[in-house]
This record gives sequence, structure tokens and C-alpha cells, in this order.
Amino acid sequence: MVEQKFVGYKCRSCGRVMNPKHDRCLSCKGRDFDEVELPKVGKLVTYTKLYALPQGIEMPPLTLGIVDFGVVRVLGQLATDEPRIGMSLRPVWGKIRRLNDKDIYGFRFEPVS
Amino acid sequence: MRDVAIIGAGMTKFGRSPGDLMDILAEASLRAIEHANVGKEEFDALYVSNMMAGETAHQTAVASSLADRIALVPAAADRVENGPASGGSALKNAFLAVASGCYDLVLVTGGEKMTTADTDIITDLVATMTHPTAEYIHGVTLPAMGGMLTRLYMERYGLTERHLAMVAVKNHANGLKNPYAHIQRACTIEGAMSSGVIADPLRLYYVCPISDGAASLVLCPLDKAKKYTDKPVRIAGVGQATDVQALQEREDPTVLKSVKIAAQKAFKMAGVTPDDIDVAELHDAFEILEIAESEDIGFFEKGKGHLAVEKGVTALDGELPINPSGGLKARGHPVGATGVAQAVELFWQLRGEAGERQVKEPKRALSCNFGGFGNNTVIHIFERGW
Ligand SMILES: [Zn+2]
Repeated sequence: MVEQKFVGYKCRSCGRVMNPKHDRCLSCKGRDFDEVELPKVGKLVTYTKLYALPQGIEMPPLTLGIVDFGVVRVLGQLATDEPRIGMSLRPVWGKIRRLNDKDIYGFRFEPVS
Repeated sequence: MRDVAIIGAGMTKFGRSPGDLMDILAEASLRAIEHANVGKEEFDALYVSNMMAGETAHQTAVASSLADRIALVPAAADRVENGPASGGSALKNAFLAVASGCYDLVLVTGGEKMTTADTDIITDLVATMTHPTAEYIHGVTLPAMGGMLTRLYMERYGLTERHLAMVAVKNHANGLKNPYAHIQRACTIEGAMSSGVIADPLRLYYVCPISDGAASLVLCPLDKAKKYTDKPVRIAGVGQATDVQALQEREDPTVLKSVKIAAQKAFKMAGVTPDDIDVAELHDAFEILEIAESEDIGFFEKGKGHLAVEKGVTALDGELPINPSGGLKARGHPVGATGVAQAVELFWQLRGEAGERQVKEPKRALSCNFGGFGNNTVIHIFERGW
């Protein structure tokens, strides 16, 4: 699967950036958006280590977290066993799980060393 | 709008039911109909709350099937699906239908059959309520959301794991006094705090079980209720609100905005304030939610709900008993039934029929049924109608 850019969707009327994409802006109900690249580094807001795993993910624990990129927060898997609130993370594109016999690709977050 | 009353209630014992979904829906419905003393009167409508019959029972249009099974034909029948707040939504629809003058006698029945499916299948079905691209595909489950919210609370408000354990201990103690509860077993702080980790920092004892069960209510206009019962319970207020779906997109992820707005609407309709509530049933699918909801409804200041638990304010004999039924933690959480079961418990509490777990002479009660991970909440306020 072709690597995608780590983007948000900026409302042309009010400038609010959103991720995920909505069909109307959550602030002004505007319908036109521009794709904008998000900052390359964000900070971890919260996380969990999940031991009761969903199907298609093999090894517990699955570490999930919410990362703050300033204009938006994004949720994803964390590529670290030692998450700390406030740590710097960057998005990395790759396979994140199997779902209904298909490989699912997306961004996960790894520590910035 | 007409005043609306609940005149009868019934439920099945929650837990692992021998019967299938239709069996338990029928059992709860017939108990409520008998309890309401309506004899062979014709019902105008039936609302059935259910979240996953298509997936777990391979059956759709369950409301029509229930109308047939318990001889409500030709009553109008709808299945109502709003995730774990389906029950609250069904009750709200029934309330609106009676309040508007459209219907006079309405049955609301919620039910779910969950224990026949594998746990990972149920966990996945429930997880499909989350945002499809921003949450679900990453492996998010509802306990994962609960874990992340709990951690935010710990960071921000000084809540500790011990507070979660205190909520669990309280709800288990209440459940022990509820013959309808799924889990009828006391637990200790130490026991809860040494149970297995599900979604760190959430352990098994801070998460509700997977249950079968059904609950049912009969509604009619308040001015006709005296025909059936001396103690009708009036639905004084209803509020419902949605929020953005993804937790990370909320302005402050620790604030359950849908709870806040739904509560404000319900209080406004009822013309009362949080201080006027004597007992509440909150949606503690995860113990953190009982605390967060108790704040966003307005019972306690934001970030101080865990202190109320610590002081015993929310205990059965406290100033504001929360979850006398045992809550989702101990009564169980058959998703489609929960919102109706909360109302059934409060109906019994207001009438003084709650047995060993009876709260002292409550006059007004509130239920909070929390759908999705807080992106669709239904709140009801009930009071004595006599
Ligand atoms: Zn806008």
C-alpha cells in the first residue's frame, strides 16, 4: 500500500484543522477543506496497554495512545513498551493490523530519540 | 405535552440466561404487563431496545417478532438502536409518544443476549461503535477508551486506582442485595486491586461483565395512571445529547459533554437541580465513568467525584446513593437492556419496593445511559407521581 502523508483537513472558511475528516466543519459547517501536513512531532497525552486484544492483533499488550500535534490530537498504536505522558513521538506509516483477512495500514507513533 | 407515568416494571435476572433473546424479551415484557395491572388492554405501541441481535442472534426486526410473540399485534413496534444507550433512547421515544398525545399505552422493553458469543466477538462488536478510521482500525476497544480516560483523570485530578476499587466494592455490595444482579459477590479493595489488567490502568474489577438480560416498563399518561396503580412514577425530565465521536477530538477529553448537555436539558424540563436528586443510576461500564458522570451531571465539582466516593456520599446509606442496583458493574450490562433496567430500578426505589437495597424515602431520581464512548447520552429524571 502506497505510503500516505500525515495530514489534517483545514476548513477554507474558518481555518480549523481537523483529523479525522468531517464532511462539514465542526466549527462553522463549511464544506471545503485543504489537506495540510501536520507537525512531524507530537506529545503523548494519554495511553493504555491493552491486554484483552481485538482480533487481528497477536501479541499483548497493544499500546494505544493519543498524541497532541498542536492543531489536532491523533490516536494510534505506540511503538514503545515504555510510554510516558509528555514524551515526543513521530508518526510512522506501516501495517497496523489484520482485519477481515486484510492488512490494514496506517500511522503508528514511535519515540523521537 | 401531557405528563407521562410509568405504571409497571419487570426484568429478568441478569447474567447467563438459559433462554434466547426472544425468550428473555418476552419474559421481561410479560412481567411488566402483569405488574402494570393493565389486564388484556390493547397497547398502542412497543419500543424494543437492542444493539446487536442481527450479529449475535442472527435475527433482525425483533420488535415485530416480540409484538407477535406476546400478542400485542396490531400495536406499532420499533426496534431502537443507540449502542449501549439503546434503552434510554427507547424510553425517551416512548415518553415522547405518550407526551405528544399520539399513544396512551406503550411498552418499552430492552434486551440483549451476549453470553452465547465468544468474548472477543462481543468486544469487537462493541468496538465497532468507535470512529471507523480514527479509532477502530487501530485496535481500539471500549476498555481501551476507558483506560485512556482513567489515565487522564489520574494525571489531572489526582484520582488513584484505589478510588476505582472503592466504586467496585460499593457496587458489588449493592449487587449482593439485588436478586436480579448478574454478580452477587462481595469484593474487597485488595481483591479488586490485584485482579488482572484489561486495559492498564483498568483491571477486571473496574470493567462491567458481559451479560444476558431484559427489562421492561409500561407507560401511560399520568392522568390515566391512577386507574392502574396508586404509585405511578412520573417521568419529569428527559435530555439527550451527542458529542464528536473520537475521544481525541473533544476539546477536553475528560469532560463528557454529551452527559453535561443531556443533564442540563433534563434538569430544565423537570424544573429541578442536581441537589433535588435523591438517588441515581449511572452508566459505570468502567468505574471511572461513574465518577466522571457524577461530575458532569452536576452532583459534584469537576475532578472531585472520587472524593465523594471516598467519603461514602454515594454509598447506599450516603447522601446521594449511586447505583443501588449494583450498576453495570454488578447488575451486569446486557447492552440493549441497560437503559431500561436503570429506569426499572429507580421505579422500584421511588415506590419503596427495592427490598434490601432500598434507599431511604427517595422522592426524585436520575438515570444516565451513556452510549458509544460518551458520544450519545440519554438522561431521565423520575419523581413520585402520587
Ligand atoms: Zn470552519
